[in-house]
Amino acid sequence: MAAKKVFKEKTNKALGVNPDDARLTLTYFSLAFIILFIGGTLGLLQGLNRAGLLELPAWFNYYQVLTAHGILLILIFTALFMVGYFYAALSHTLGGLIPVVRKMGWTALGLMLIGTAFVVTTIVMDEATVLYTFYPPMQASPWFYIGLVFIVLGVWAATIGVFTSAASWKKRNKGEHLPLLAFFAVGAFLLLFFGSIGVTIEVLTLIPWAFGWTETVNVMLSRTLFWSFGHTLVNVWYFTAISAWYVIVPRIIGGRLFSDTLTRVVVVLLVILNVPGGFHHQIIDPGFTEGLKFMHVFMSLSIAFPSLMTAFAMFAVFERTGRKKGAKGLFGWVKKLPWGDVRFLAPMIAMIAFIPAGAGGIAQTNNQLNQVVHNTLWVTGHFHLTVGTTVVLTFFGIMYWLIPYLSKRELTPKINKLGIIQTITWAVGMLFMSGAMHWVGLLGSPRRTSYTTYGDNATALSWDPYLFFLAIGGTLLFIGGGLMIYIVFHLMFKAPKGDTAFPIAEPEDGASPTPKWTERWGLWVVLAIAVISMGYLVPIVDLIFNAPPGSPPFRTW
Amino acid sequence: MKQAIYGLLLYVFLMLPPVVTLLESIMSFHMHMQMPLLIIAGLLMTPFLQKKFPRLFEKWNQNGVPGILLFTIIMIYWMFPRTMDEALTIQAVQVFKFISLPFLAGVPLRDSWRKLGGFGKNVIYVSFSIMFGFMGILYVFSESQLCNNYLIVEQKTLGWGFIALAVCIIIYFIQLLFIDESEYE
Repeated sequence: MAAKKVFKEKTNKALGVNPDDARLTLTYFSLAFIILFIGGTLGLLQGLNRAGLLELPAWFNYYQVLTAHGILLILIFTALFMVGYFYAALSHTLGGLIPVVRKMGWTALGLMLIGTAFVVTTIVMDEATVLYTFYPPMQASPWFYIGLVFIVLGVWAATIGVFTSAASWKKRNKGEHLPLLAFFAVGAFLLLFFGSIGVTIEVLTLIPWAFGWTETVNVMLSRTLFWSFGHTLVNVWYFTAISAWYVIVPRIIGGRLFSDTLTRVVVVLLVILNVPGGFHHQIIDPGFTEGLKFMHVFMSLSIAFPSLMTAFAMFAVFERTGRKKGAKGLFGWVKKLPWGDVRFLAPMIAMIAFIPAGAGGIAQTNNQLNQVVHNTLWVTGHFHLTVGTTVVLTFFGIMYWLIPYLSKRELTPKINKLGIIQTITWAVGMLFMSGAMHWVGLLGSPRRTSYTTYGDNATALSWDPYLFFLAIGGTLLFIGGGLMIYIVFHLMFKAPKGDTAFPIAEPEDGASPTPKWTERWGLWVVLAIAVISMGYLVPIVDLIFNAPPGSPPFRTW
Repeated sequence: MKQAIYGLLLYVFLMLPPVVTLLESIMSFHMHMQMPLLIIAGLLMTPFLQKKFPRLFEKWNQNGVPGILLFTIIMIYWMFPRTMDEALTIQAVQVFKFISLPFLAGVPLRDSWRKLGGFGKNVIYVSFSIMFGFMGILYVFSESQLCNNYLIVEQKTLGWGFIALAVCIIIYFIQLLFIDESEYE
């Protein structure tokens, strides 16, 4: 039996991907990019509306578009992409998915699609125009919340699949470290699971309220539970992105891993520290003491620590690789990087974007600075830089080798060139759009608001030029998104047949062995629970026991 | 040595008046942050003390049982609501807190932990999860204010904190029973 398994793993490595696993991931990716197209189109409509160039019809108004854009892209595109990507990674590094895990993958997809159908239908019917944060006391149709439950169940099914494949591999390979990419998968899904607990509790209190079985809802509690998820989700995407930075990018540039141990430590730290960071989204909410907010700022900033480790590690890899190729001088290695290779360029621009994006995030985490920008377009600009650039460009970069690998095709120089054009269009579009959003946010232009001149108020009129830039950026992004969708489907069905490798970086020669304690997941889980309870017990008990009378539902649209 | 310096730094940091004020202003912070951090400071300083006074540890804590007993007694002492009140109102008790938690709980815990066998460790896991669970129930469901210095809502929070801690210990203990780490290592 064991010999058979080893044989299967070896053939898998030699012959490439198992066709059943490839079909699973490619289905996920196809749906993800169709969703990206729909979400992106909605984004364009919004951008044009914000610039005052387009009046949206009453039957599909700005707020419906905004809700759909947010939920489709933030929740569904990323979730589909992440599951597809990590299942492919598990299939490759662990020697094929075991049948039960593959079934979990399909079940997860089914559940997520059912959920998406519910959510999208209610939004289109104008029964759930509650924006993607669905803050109570705004009340959507109960079927909207039920749809969300299905999406969460889908994510949990995918999570169980990841854990099962990791556990089964460990049983078959006693005494070995889980391969690094699989280690990332376990970490990311563990974090996603922890993050989704709070929002599930929230949604389960909202459903009876939306049906009218309970009269009121605890608004502050709901918001708090939402952000225990909302912020964690951001870091789950980031997690997915950095798994490619650490493991894939070094191989693409012809280098080695920075350090297996450090990478695993970053994964563990991200899992343990993340969830209580969510509070900084509520930093201007009333009802919490400043001491609590301070503690959560501390937790938020503590996440910056593993991020800085990542930045250090990545640039160290670049420099090391450049010098091995004969680079001279302080910055000579920059020239040795393969800038003409889209598989490198896209994640590299993503990393560069993360420098201002991360710095902006740290600035926003501070109470006083947050007061200035909280409800402005600055915040929208910030998350288009983090999610829309850092995360999404990395996802795009992954597509150029993962899809050919799965479809047994090749990335041609022509598509590589188109990919570079795509990457640059996207980056420039985001520079315009996100830059304009940041700046006009500082000037006071509010977020989550359709175009208005506030009765031709002079200040509001002064925002217009920036909003125009926003629309130009949005248009470029739409073009970039369209190109990407063409590239994805081209690589899936049209590109010439061939062999593409799954690029996984090897450790340096003579690298010190990874210590065994990195595999103590039991301990990491317990520490994560302890940190989550440290962060949330005090506020949540206070919000429940000192609750104001709850709020009846409101329909603001 | 490096560890001992970090421990000492943490110890001094915890003694700074603004830190003391902040951590003692909320009941949960007092019990579930300041006190564990004091113990951690002690844990970090242990190797230095073991090197400095090897005879002491050998003579008094040969099999780890006296040390873990001392740790347990100190822990139980600081779980009485009254002791926490007194730490806030009587200077001498506050001083005792800053000495007892690192040096009479943290140091013996680390010294004993390696010396204890599997059975001893299991006894500690089980008894502390039961104790924390009991404390949690006491604090959550008590009708009256147990500490003069803290409000009832803070008491309930602390109770939930104890329950969370008990759950953490139980999860950790169960995974230790089911997952044989040596199989993977």
